[in-house]
Amino acid sequence: MDTFVQLTLNGLTLGSVYALIALGYSLVYGILKLLNFAHGDVFMVGSFIGFGALQLLGGSTDPIVPVWLLLILVTLAAMAGCAVLGVAIERFAYRPLRDAPRIAPLISALGVSFFLAYSVQLMFGSEQRDYDAFSLDGGALFLTGFNIGNVRVPLLRIIIILSAFVLMVLLWLLVTKTRMGKAMRATSHDREAAAMMGIDIDRVIVFAFVLGSALAGAAGVMFALRAPTAATIGFIAGLKGFTAAVIGGIGSIPGAMAGGLILGFAEAFTQGYISTRWSDLLVFVILISFMLLRPQGLFGKADIKKV
Amino acid sequence: MAGTRLLELRGVSMAFGGLSVIDGLDLHVDEDEILSVIGPNGAGKTTLFNLVTGVYEPTGGDIVFAGESIKGLEPHKITQRGIARTFQTLRLFLNMSVRENVMAAAYGHTKAGAFRSILRTPGQRREEREIRAAAEQRLAFFGERLTGYRWDQPAYSLSYANRRRLEIARATATNARMLLLDEPAAGMNPKETHEITELIAKLRDEGGFTILVIEHDMHVVEGISDRVVALDHGVKIAEGSFEQVATDPRVVEAYLGTGAAERK
Amino acid sequence: MTEPNEQQGPRIGKDEWVARHGDNRDRRAGVAGTIEERLRNVPWWAWLALFTGIVCLLPIGFESGYVRRIAFDTVIFMLLALGLNVVVGWGGLLDLGYVAFFGVGAYTYAFLSSDKFDVHLPSILTIPLACVVGGVIGLLVGLPSRRLVGDYLAIVTLFFFQIFLTVTNNGENLFGTDVTGGPNGIINVDPLSLFGRELPVSADGIFNVAYLYVALGAFVVVYVALRLVDRSRTGRAWRSLREDALAAELMGMPVSWLKLMAFAFGAAVAALAGTLVTALNGSVFPQSFEFPLLITIFTMVILGGAGSQAGVVVGAILISVLLEVLREPGDARFLFYTLGLLGLFAAFRLSVRLAVVLGGTLVFGLIAHAVAGSVDDAWTAGAGGDGGRLADWAVHWVIVPADLAAWVTPVSYIGLVSLTLVLTLLRGWTRLALLVPTLYLAAFVWENVMLPKPEPTRFVILGALLVAVMVARPAGLLGEKRVEIV
Repeated sequence: MDTFVQLTLNGLTLGSVYALIALGYSLVYGILKLLNFAHGDVFMVGSFIGFGALQLLGGSTDPIVPVWLLLILVTLAAMAGCAVLGVAIERFAYRPLRDAPRIAPLISALGVSFFLAYSVQLMFGSEQRDYDAFSLDGGALFLTGFNIGNVRVPLLRIIIILSAFVLMVLLWLLVTKTRMGKAMRATSHDREAAAMMGIDIDRVIVFAFVLGSALAGAAGVMFALRAPTAATIGFIAGLKGFTAAVIGGIGSIPGAMAGGLILGFAEAFTQGYISTRWSDLLVFVILISFMLLRPQGLFGKADIKKV
Repeated sequence: MAGTRLLELRGVSMAFGGLSVIDGLDLHVDEDEILSVIGPNGAGKTTLFNLVTGVYEPTGGDIVFAGESIKGLEPHKITQRGIARTFQTLRLFLNMSVRENVMAAAYGHTKAGAFRSILRTPGQRREEREIRAAAEQRLAFFGERLTGYRWDQPAYSLSYANRRRLEIARATATNARMLLLDEPAAGMNPKETHEITELIAKLRDEGGFTILVIEHDMHVVEGISDRVVALDHGVKIAEGSFEQVATDPRVVEAYLGTGAAERK
Repeated sequence: MTEPNEQQGPRIGKDEWVARHGDNRDRRAGVAGTIEERLRNVPWWAWLALFTGIVCLLPIGFESGYVRRIAFDTVIFMLLALGLNVVVGWGGLLDLGYVAFFGVGAYTYAFLSSDKFDVHLPSILTIPLACVVGGVIGLLVGLPSRRLVGDYLAIVTLFFFQIFLTVTNNGENLFGTDVTGGPNGIINVDPLSLFGRELPVSADGIFNVAYLYVALGAFVVVYVALRLVDRSRTGRAWRSLREDALAAELMGMPVSWLKLMAFAFGAAVAALAGTLVTALNGSVFPQSFEFPLLITIFTMVILGGAGSQAGVVVGAILISVLLEVLREPGDARFLFYTLGLLGLFAAFRLSVRLAVVLGGTLVFGLIAHAVAGSVDDAWTAGAGGDGGRLADWAVHWVIVPADLAAWVTPVSYIGLVSLTLVLTLLRGWTRLALLVPTLYLAAFVWENVMLPKPEPTRFVILGALLVAVMVARPAGLLGEKRVEIV
């Protein structure tokens, strides 16, 4: 029973991170119909920016600001940095290919992904970076918390899950309640029609990238608070985020959240009950099954194309 | 054999999600006849073509061609059975030459596979020559416009009217029995429209094709049709000769709105 | 209706000379034009024969085993590029699992010609068998392509790649039996055996040239075979598929089946390459089949021009040579400056602007170097590291600190990337003005950041190349410029 609770907790935490990544994928795919392979590497860059910010603020053993402020600043730094990165990627690697055949921006995305991963490796080496969150405030993030049965629920996990949730709610509000959000939804339905209605497509697309990349940056920080990060984790992380998006229904925000959680649980339980070696493969199996059997995911609508 | 039904739609329906585009349609095309389908935009005409060619599968009813049901078949199989089409918005192979466009359409009734092509067997070489000669013949059917040096020119270098002709030529190269022409005269000036009208008649008379045409230009419809069917909102509202359909009050109403029939 | 003068002069729309007017105008004037025209008329097999001849003569000119091994590796890359060209260039499919077929061929050969299962079939059997296995698996992997749109297909192929990696890496304990040897791979693989005789992998420690010739032979066979397919009914169908898949389907071409064929052909060629490499190495390890290899082959194909066989071969050679040169810091430095100068020449031709940029960069650098040196000696005290005259000269121009502070690397690198991107947005003299410090910064980053770390550097360059070619010149070097109607 305890294992079950622990694994559920793992699933929730993992799932929150995946959901944030999935949202970025979903936003961009909904508007551009582009699989942004570089998204996972933006996530990875976010974790590195967070690390850098952490060091600038004194490191985890001797921060110059209280812990809660530290976490906020680090996350904001990652979100801001990733937003800029996302805008740059869109502007230089995808926008010129907007009217090219579908395969072209995909290849470009591959190139960007590769470039990012190895640029980080070039600048910072291939060793892992550990936020060492345990040292923060004498381990307060881990020691404070509550218990469910025999399982400890540390404060850190609570923070991660809650902040992810808050971010998702903010995003949902943005997309449904604001004008820009409406513009985004219109563009994802029919780009040409939206343009003819006076919507500035370029701005909408940039906005989508800003949001998606910022969320990925936040996810990067949340991930790295609990596990070491390295230059090479980007691609597979992005793929998992994409899987989550497909499960939930690509283009759907509540879908991305649900998909992220489902994937998080699936991975946690596989790692716990079967083995870690096959969990990556499992992710793929889930992805392929959904793509073949139910491509619109759980919450998406079946795509009707009129010829 | 003229008089027999080559294509038959029996109670065909097509719905996308909850939206019904075609509802219980009965339609037939006799061998060697030219049938025109008219109707306002959104009436379901192109959807009809997509259904017949297998791009969509009907959600209800059956489609029978030459006595056999073609419902649910893959599009290339249907083409190989003898139905070929052109497109409302041209869909040529623009970066290929004029001749190659037409040669490509011969795939369905030729058989030299990749391995025989590598070995360049006598059979494969003969078939290639035949495909090439057949393509040039098909193009020659269209008179001077698509002959000679034009054969080697890329399709994108052709004028609009010639592109439309090429698309029809390509469709004929499939050795189809029936051609589906989707707005063949769209965007043409009166002289070109006249040529297209003559061409369609020639396709039936000399080419032996049965032809199903979607057209908006009533002059063309009047000039070529043996029969006319009018659709509106996915339902057949009139059928008969051009005069009968053109004066049918329901047709007038569909085009010009309620009250127009009385005023007319 | 005919006017009396109608027969004289060009008849617009009907006259061949008029139709060819566009081509005539595009032709370059003078000698260059004539040469280009003549070259374009040289038949393809003449180029192939010439190329093959040169490669055959290579071992005679260069006795070193190193050069021969590089040549062999390049031929393998050429084969891989040809195969990927079929899938991506002719079929228009994004195959992210291509390297797995390379691995399938390698492992199949190892299974059939080693002590692993004690099967020792002659190469005349194993190589075709491996190709067939590769092709069949290619068919199976391609099956989902019937139902999936392009981007989703990419994921399926990636999935296959993941399966391959997982199985080969964890294969030492697959349901209790040791199938693939896991991370330790399979060793003691037989060398090639042709006509009953075994070809030793090396003689007196020197790479056996016979392997180069076998690989070259395989390359020629594959090149010619693929070309024959391209110029046939199947090739026509593939071209139509690329142009407009829906129209192709409706003109009687079975699009799904054609895509499967492209997949299978590409996979078979990759498998062939796999067998040759395994025979030469005498072993196969799962670490050889990783994602960076996939990106490398993709870059070769895109750079050379997807869809053009000659193009992807050129791309393969260029990238292969580039990667090899980048291994040695001394050579890499030389390459950097040479390519930089060539690039500037190509961009500006012989003009005032070229002089301005070159001179400006030189002066800028010398000033910067002097300033840095005067502020702190240690800032310019770093050695070029790896000798060579160029290194000595460069050190006087580029700032090479003795100790590099940690923050310098990321700041300078990111600065360089940002400046380069900004440069693409500028025009006119502002662009020239910004170009000067950017060039100097590039040299700085090259010396201090990239040269010391050849491994990530090569992949950074590949990734950047891939994006740059896709954005600036999607047809690559020799690909056909296509007209797309949006």
